[in-house]
Amino acid sequence: MGVIYALVVMAIVLGSLNFQNNLGLLFGFFMAAVGLVAMHRCWFNLLALEAQVRPGPPVFAGVPAQFEVTLRNARDGARYDLRVLGGLDGVRPIHLEARDQRSVTVGVASERRGLLPLPEVEIETRHPMHLFRAWSYAASRAACLIYPRPAPQAPPAIQDAGGSRRPARSGGEGAEDFVGPRAYRYGDSPRHLDWKALARERGLVVKQFGGDQGLEVWIDWSALVVSDAERRIALLTRQVLDAAGSSLRFGLRLPGVEIELGHGESHTQRCLMELALFRHANGQGDTDRRAA
Amino acid sequence: MRTVKATPIDEQPERRQTIALILITALGYLPLVRYLSWQITAFLGLVLGLRLVAVRWPEASPGRFALLALTAVGGLNCWYVYQGLPGRAGGAALFVTMLGLKLLELRTRRDHRMVAMLLGFLVLVHFLFDQSGALTVYLALVMFAAIMLLVDLNGGLGDPGWRVPFRLSVRLGLEALPIAIALFVLFPRLSAPLWSLGLERQTGVTGMSDRLRHGSISELVINGDLAFRVRFDGPAPPESRLYWRGLVLWSVGESGWSPGPEPRLAPASEGLESAGEWIDYELVLEPSRQRWVFALDLPVAHPTDTALSADFQIVADRPVVAVKRFRIRSALQYRTHDPPERLRQLALGLPANVTERMRDLVAGWQGGSTSDWEVVQAALDFFHREPFVYTLLPPRVGANPTDAFLFETRSGFCEHYASSFALLMRIAGIPSRVILGYLGGEMNRISGRYMVWQSDAHAWVEVLIEGRGWVRIDPTSAVAPERVDNRSAARLLGAGAPVQFRLDAEGIFGRAIRQVRDLADSLDAAWQDWVLEYAVEDQRSLLDRLGLGAQGDRALVVLMIATLGLVLGVILVTLMRSDRHLDRLERSYDLFCRRLSRIGLGRHAWEGPRDYGRRVVSARPDLTTPVSQILSVYIRGRYSGDSSLREDRRLAQLVRRFRPRTRRR
Repeated sequence: MGVIYALVVMAIVLGSLNFQNNLGLLFGFFMAAVGLVAMHRCWFNLLALEAQVRPGPPVFAGVPAQFEVTLRNARDGARYDLRVLGGLDGVRPIHLEARDQRSVTVGVASERRGLLPLPEVEIETRHPMHLFRAWSYAASRAACLIYPRPAPQAPPAIQDAGGSRRPARSGGEGAEDFVGPRAYRYGDSPRHLDWKALARERGLVVKQFGGDQGLEVWIDWSALVVSDAERRIALLTRQVLDAAGSSLRFGLRLPGVEIELGHGESHTQRCLMELALFRHANGQGDTDRRAA
Repeated sequence: MRTVKATPIDEQPERRQTIALILITALGYLPLVRYLSWQITAFLGLVLGLRLVAVRWPEASPGRFALLALTAVGGLNCWYVYQGLPGRAGGAALFVTMLGLKLLELRTRRDHRMVAMLLGFLVLVHFLFDQSGALTVYLALVMFAAIMLLVDLNGGLGDPGWRVPFRLSVRLGLEALPIAIALFVLFPRLSAPLWSLGLERQTGVTGMSDRLRHGSISELVINGDLAFRVRFDGPAPPESRLYWRGLVLWSVGESGWSPGPEPRLAPASEGLESAGEWIDYELVLEPSRQRWVFALDLPVAHPTDTALSADFQIVADRPVVAVKRFRIRSALQYRTHDPPERLRQLALGLPANVTERMRDLVAGWQGGSTSDWEVVQAALDFFHREPFVYTLLPPRVGANPTDAFLFETRSGFCEHYASSFALLMRIAGIPSRVILGYLGGEMNRISGRYMVWQSDAHAWVEVLIEGRGWVRIDPTSAVAPERVDNRSAARLLGAGAPVQFRLDAEGIFGRAIRQVRDLADSLDAAWQDWVLEYAVEDQRSLLDRLGLGAQGDRALVVLMIATLGLVLGVILVTLMRSDRHLDRLERSYDLFCRRLSRIGLGRHAWEGPRDYGRRVVSARPDLTTPVSQILSVYIRGRYSGDSSLREDRRLAQLVRRFRPRTRRR
C-alpha cells in the first residue's frame, strides 16, 4: 500500500508544482509528512518489544508443535497491530496497552522426532496506516520435544526378559494369568510354546503368563528384529503407548539406556522422551538435530 | 518457521468502515457541486446511494455486467457534459466519476485503503477551482477523516470504536505538520509550468476586457468581486486621486473603442519629462487571465517580469492566472513627453459615423476659444450644463450610440462620458485616448490595505495639450452631482447579486458590518500572502535573509533536508525518551544496581531486590549495612503503596552516597 500512497503523493506534488498551486502542494507535502511519520511510528511500534518463546507440551511427530509467544510491552505507551507470523490463531493482530503482555500460540509442523527448535519468531506490524511493514525476528532457544511417530501397530512387548538384571521377584512367569504372546527365546519352556501359532506359520511364539506382582513388560530395542532403526523406534513407541494404555508396569531398554519398570504418566513421558532423543549407533536421522 | 506468509484473515472490512468511506467521499465531493455540471453530481449521487443500499443489503450490489454498464454510463456522462474531456472541469468530472465507481467494488480492506488514499487526490482537484481559506479548512478535515479511516483499517487497535484511531491520527497529524510546513517553505518551486493540460482555460473570470463597448463596464459595476489589493509603503494618496490605470485605447470604431492596431507594447524609452514625488506600493492582483496590470497613474518603475509600454501600461509577460504580487512605483504629478507624430495621428483617428451635429457642437466650442485647453474646458462645461444624467441603467441606443447619447438620451455612465468626450476632442483636432481602469478603493482599517473592487471600474480620457503632454480629463466628474442616480445602481445590484448592505452607512450596524468585512478581508489577504502566493521570490528572499542567497537552490535543498532531519530527530528523541520513562525511585535503584555491577555484582534480570541483596551481601559482607538499608527503603517505597513516605527522596540520598569499591586483596 505504501507504493500506492507514494504514487498518489507524487502525483499531487508534481501536479501542484506544475500548476503552481500552493495549497495542493501544501496538502501533498502534508501527506508525504504523514507518510514519513507513519514510517517512524511503524518502526517505533516494534522497538524494544519483548518477546518470550515457550515451547508447548511435547507432541508426536506429524502433529504441529506449539510454541507460546508472549509479547510484553515495557513501555508507557500502547502498541498496536502486532502480528506474530505463523501463528495457529491466524494472524489476528494483537495490541498491548502500556506495560501489558499477551500470548499467542504459534504452530510449527513437526516431522521428525527429537527436539524441534524455533530459532526465530517473526513479529510484524503495519501500524499505523498500513503503508510500511516493520518486522523483527526474535531469536529464541526454545525447542519443543517431538516424540517419535508411533507405528500403527506393534508386536507386544516381551514379558520378563531381564533375567539376572531384573530385581528378584517371587513369582516369575508361572501359571497365573495369560498376558500375551511373545517371540520364543532360548531357554523358554516348551510347555509355554504356542503350538497353534506355529501351525499357522507365525514362528515360535511363547505364551506369557503374568506374575504375582502385577504384570511387567520390558520394551526392548534388541527384542525387535527390524533393520531400520527409525522403524524400530516407531514400533517401540507404539509398544510404550500400548503398555501405558493397559495397566502394565513396563520398562524400556535401548542400547545404552535403561529405564526401570514403572507406571504412570510421568514414567510414560520419560520413556517417550528417551525414544525421542535416542541416538543409535549408525547415527541416522536424529543425530544432526541433536548436535544442533 | 513457515516461510510462506499467511494471508491475513482480517482483511474483511467492517461495515462501519465502508459506511465511513462512503460518507467521507461524499463530503469530499460536496464543494465540487458548484463547479461541476449537475449531471455529474447526479451520477455520483446515484452511485453513492447504490453503494449505501449495498451496505445494508449486500445482495443488491451490482454484478460485473451491471458494473461495466455503469462505468460506461459514467464515462459517457462526462463525455457528453464536457464535450470531450479536456480542461479541469472535464478531468475533475472523470476522476470523481471513477472514484465513485471504485466505491461500488469495495471488497477487501485493500480496496478501502486505495479509495481513502485517492481522496488525497480529490483534495488537489478542489484546489484547481477554489483556494479559499474556508475550503482549505474543510478539506483538511476531510483529509484527516481519510487518515483516520486508514488507521482504523489497519486494525490491531484493540478498542473497536473511533476513539483510538482519532487519537492516533491527531498525533500523526501534529507530528507531520512541522515537516509539511518545512517542505512547503523550502521545496524548490518551478517558475514556469512543465506541461499544460489546458486547465487554465477561461471559466468566466470576471474582469476588464480589452475593448470599450457600451455596457462592458456596467457588467463590472454590478460585480461584487475584488479586483486587486494595494499596500502603500508610505501614506496613501487621497482617494480622489486613486486612478488605477489599466488599458489605453487608441482606436475608435463605429461600435466602440479598442487598443488599436499599433504594436503599443514598445517599451517606454523616454519615460517622463518630469515627475513629482514617487509613491511605492505593492499591488496584489486577483487572477484576470489577462496580461495587463493596473497601476496608479502614472507608473514609472515596474517588476522585471513585466514591461512598461510607451503609453504607460504595465503588461505582464504572461496572463495572470493566479493571484500575483507586483511592486510598482508611480508618480502622481508628472509631465509626459510629446508623442511622435505617428502616435499623434493615431490619437486623432475618427470613426465613419461622425455626425453633423457633433461637428457643429465642436465647432461652436472652437469658435469661442483660443487654445486647445479652452476647448477642453468648454466640453466639460457642456457636460455640466446640459441635463446629463449619470445612471447605470442607460436607455437602449441605436446604431450610433455616441450621437444618441450626446443629443437624445443624455444618460449614461463613465464609459459613455469618456468615449464621447474623447471622440469630441478628436473632432476638435485634439489628440485623445481613453483609459480603462479603476477609480478609488476602500481602505481596510485592520490591514491598512486598499481594496479595489470590480465595481470601481472606470473610464477616463487623456488629451494631448501642447507643452503639457498627456493630461487626464475625467468627464464623468463634470456631471452635476444632483443628477447622479444611485438608485439605478442599487436596482442593478438587487437584480443579480446577493443583497449587499450599504457599507458607507453610518451607525453602529453599518460600522460593525464594515469591521467584520475588514477583518475577513485582512485574513484573506494574509492567506493570499503567505499561502497562495508563496513562490520562488519568497524563497529567494528567505535565503537572502539567512545569508544563503548566493547558494541558490542547493542551499534550499540542504536547508530542507536539514530541517526535515531536525524535526524527525526531535520526534524520535521524544519517542525514545518516553520509552525509558522511569520514576525517581526506579532511577535511584537503577543507579544502585549499576554501581554494584561496576564491582562485578550486577543484578540479574530475574532477581528481585531481596535475592539480589542476599547475593551481594554474601559476596561482600562489608557492604551489608548500606545495601540492606538501601534495599529496605526501596522495597518499602516500591511495594508499600504509600507514596506519602517520600522514600524516593531518601533512596536518592542513600544511593548517592553509596560508592562501593573493589576489594583490595
